[in-house]
Amino acid sequence: MFDITRRHLLAGTAAAAGLSLLPRTAFAAEELVAATFGGTWANVHKQILAPYFSKKSGATVVQSPMLATEQIAKLTAAKGAQPPFDVAMLDDGPNIAAIDAGLVEKFDPSKAPNFASLAPGFKTEYGPAITMQAIGIAYNPKTVKTPPTSWADLWKPEYKGRVGITSLASTLGLAFLLDINRLEGGTEASMEPAFKKLKTLLPNLAAVSANFGAHGALFQQNEIDIGVQNFNFAEELKAKGVPIEFVRVSTGTPAWKTTMHVVKGALKPDLAYSYIDSQLSAEVQGEMQKSPWNVIPTNSKVPFDGLVASKIAKTPADLEKMVFFDWKKVNQGRAEWTAQFNRDIRA
Amino acid sequence: MADGAAKEGQEWRLTLPLTLFFVAFFVGPLLLLIGISFQAERQMTGVLGLNQYAVFLGDSLNLDVLSNTLILGVKATALCLIFGYPLAWLITRVSARMQALLIFLVILPIVTSVVVRTFAWIVILGRRGIVNDAIIAMGLSATPLRLLFNEAGVVIVLTQVQLPLMVLPLVTVLQRIDPNLASASQALGAGAWRTFFKITLPLSMPGIIAGTILTYTACVSAFVTQSLIGGSRLLYMPMMIFQQAMDLQNWPFAAAISVLFMISVLLIVGLLVALSRSRAARLYG
Repeated sequence: MFDITRRHLLAGTAAAAGLSLLPRTAFAAEELVAATFGGTWANVHKQILAPYFSKKSGATVVQSPMLATEQIAKLTAAKGAQPPFDVAMLDDGPNIAAIDAGLVEKFDPSKAPNFASLAPGFKTEYGPAITMQAIGIAYNPKTVKTPPTSWADLWKPEYKGRVGITSLASTLGLAFLLDINRLEGGTEASMEPAFKKLKTLLPNLAAVSANFGAHGALFQQNEIDIGVQNFNFAEELKAKGVPIEFVRVSTGTPAWKTTMHVVKGALKPDLAYSYIDSQLSAEVQGEMQKSPWNVIPTNSKVPFDGLVASKIAKTPADLEKMVFFDWKKVNQGRAEWTAQFNRDIRA
Repeated sequence: MADGAAKEGQEWRLTLPLTLFFVAFFVGPLLLLIGISFQAERQMTGVLGLNQYAVFLGDSLNLDVLSNTLILGVKATALCLIFGYPLAWLITRVSARMQALLIFLVILPIVTSVVVRTFAWIVILGRRGIVNDAIIAMGLSATPLRLLFNEAGVVIVLTQVQLPLMVLPLVTVLQRIDPNLASASQALGAGAWRTFFKITLPLSMPGIIAGTILTYTACVSAFVTQSLIGGSRLLYMPMMIFQQAMDLQNWPFAAAISVLFMISVLLIVGLLVALSRSRAARLYG
């Protein structure tokens, strides 16, 4: 009984949504809807990927910025009906959850010629890794005179009330917590060392941003002088004139992959493949690697260059030396850690 | 005559479109939400139970978050009333042109995008923001005050953002009060304050209650303001629901805490309505 109501309602909502789309679909039959992230990603996808894809396929694309978790929530809600978008963009962690929940299709490499140019580590059964995200410390060089070298610097008494981190809603926040845990001798199965260590950081914290978008603004507004940050986002802020420097931490750079997937039941599967293939092309990845974007390429035909080469990796082998986590275990622990984080971090 | 009466009796039919709309898009989803909250498992396997409610009520942190959210609403609403009442009163006393201008200024926050508005507040209240720069320039403090990422900041911003919801009902009610009543009170020897407390304030009570209900419900559910101005170290119910629904995909738990949050807010609103009834009864009965 309950199930029927739910299905009816979903169908009703889908019909309503369909109505509002009618004029658009009637005139531009070939239109792809793709998810993207905010910040740097929304920019590179609009400026580099969209025109390239349109030229190649003759179709247009609507890029909708959403957090990875938000994409999963929307796909889950639409399960059994038309999905709200055709291409998903996910981080390690959410991508495992999406695969487990059957939200994305198995990837057919024959439909994306550029897939073959990826290094083996970037190919998965469900889609390609389009980049690596690497994190480290960003700081304001005007107020922090000695460049930090390790996470331990965030605990220095001189940074009392000046440090910023993000909540576990972002992969950045999770990766930071996991790395602290690793350095304190914990594993993904035992996070106590991380939480114990995190408590001692409280006096230094100026802010814990609720999400990633708010995090960049903290540096921009001088609310924090030093804190965790993603390489791309720090460099993009710097290119905009924000006084910010990014450094890798000496204990190893925590990193994760960002993947693209064809959504299960995609309305335009062929366009979805073409879009993902465009993202994998050497032209697009080479363009995205340039400043101010500095997106780490995964196509082996694109040599590392610019800031990626000088700050992150000279060769693909360097990428493999980064610190990776067991995201399957992370997904299992996430709810419990979020509760613990909420409890420990509360002002 | 008989015909007219029959038509009169059928006027309720005019509300049918709206009723259908409400059933489809408000009552339906609400029942769905309540239904999901009884799912015992995160994966919504169909096993029903009160687990989600038990989990929420069994953790003191959750109860703290709930009470903090409800108290946050009280603080912001009280400030809205303190600032809004004199403003509403002023609006009813000035010329028509001035009145239009003041009302425009009052509703300005509603017509601005909530995200833009909130980021503007980050610029104003920040460590290097306008307020702190002024305080330091005047020598009132040597170091910047912490106005963001604490409850005070959230209350300040909520007050500005939700003020129109308080002022508009107050203006409506104050305009309807017969000015002769105040004159009569003064003619009978009451001072300005006595007139205010005995005549104006009681007669404006319906506006105060209406404004309070609107402001309160808006303040406790102001997700964007709460999370952007408060940051993650201040946790309120809307953020908690978002975390469970979006970050953790735990819809049954998110639904259960939504239901509990809704009941708590409804209880408070019910209390205010009851208060307004008793007031009205005393005044006009």
